[in-house]
Amino acid sequence: MPQVADIPHDESRWVRLAQAADARAFEKLYRAHVDKVYGLCLRMTGNPSEAEDCTQDAFIQAWSKLSRFRGDSAFGTWMHRVAVNTVLGRMRKSRREQDRIRAVSDVAPVQESIGDNAELRDLEQAINELPSGARHVFVLHAVYGYSHGETGDMLGIAEGTSKAQLSRARRLLVQQIETERS
Amino acid sequence: MNENDDNTFDDELMARAAKLATEVKPDRDLWPAIEQAIGEPVRPNRSVWNSVWAQAAAVVLLVGGSSSITYMAVSDGGDPILPIAGTQTLVFEPVSGSFGSQYNLGPDYQDARRGLVAKVDDELENLAPETREDVVKNLDTIRQAINDINKALAEEPDNVLLQELLLDTYRYELSLMNKVDGITRAAMRRGDI
Repeated sequence: MPQVADIPHDESRWVRLAQAADARAFEKLYRAHVDKVYGLCLRMTGNPSEAEDCTQDAFIQAWSKLSRFRGDSAFGTWMHRVAVNTVLGRMRKSRREQDRIRAVSDVAPVQESIGDNAELRDLEQAINELPSGARHVFVLHAVYGYSHGETGDMLGIAEGTSKAQLSRARRLLVQQIETERS
Repeated sequence: MNENDDNTFDDELMARAAKLATEVKPDRDLWPAIEQAIGEPVRPNRSVWNSVWAQAAAVVLLVGGSSSITYMAVSDGGDPILPIAGTQTLVFEPVSGSFGSQYNLGPDYQDARRGLVAKVDDELENLAPETREDVVKNLDTIRQAINDINKALAEEPDNVLLQELLLDTYRYELSLMNKVDGITRAAMRRGDI
């Protein structure tokens, strides 16, 4: 149960303190948002270990860029964008690393799942096996509910490309799930 | 499967995707690595421990340094030990402010120290084995203390006590090396550091 100091209305104060280099305040922001950031990294990378690294990088990036956060959006929204950029940056950094992530993903499927719903677990597994472009669009649009405009903006692609990638993702997911069922 | 079935399945797929967890707890606490990366000490108990550790190291070096200097004073005929330089009294002035995270030893001090280290290495060969062993042991103790204090300072760069301890420790090292080398040098004033 969250304590008084942990409720969201204190968040703007934590942000201000963190902007003044107060690491304790930044730790509170981390505690409040780590599950969301890790969840996003996990969905986008499909690999728990890589997701941990991405989460750490995202918060380190956030710390260094915190002075640029003007409060136009909620901190969580801003942090979400930082996390997306971090994942994409890491993947762009090395194509070989991306291949490694895929390879690891093939043999070490994501364990985290909500409840015991077999259908959701199947879907999670199928999402992990999507090509990265389709996976990123599917995760941001279908799982996190971003519009195609927002998704395209975050991924640095046109809105039309986002729609095309979503269509591709859906087609591949249907095929994947049907294959597993049969 | 016909087109209607396809559409239904597709809709179900999107509905299921919207139910996937957006928050997932990592298996381990990722904060310590982040804290280390952002270079800011957060947990007071750790800072206190580091301070204690550094102070303990400083005490060890004080004992070690003193015993070494005393031993050498006795072994070379009882000449009085002069503080660092031969004729000037070293006055340690308290630090009035923080060095901040970018403190550095001054270039004059570094040059003097490098020169002395080279000379002492040569001079050690001329000492009696027991004396040499004692000096080396004490220099090692002092340098380990310098490393320990530097580590603590990396986490608490604004800790004035640690800064003072570091400067004192460098002074003890200089004092011992000066004695070994038999050099009379101008006192390393605080302004050199």
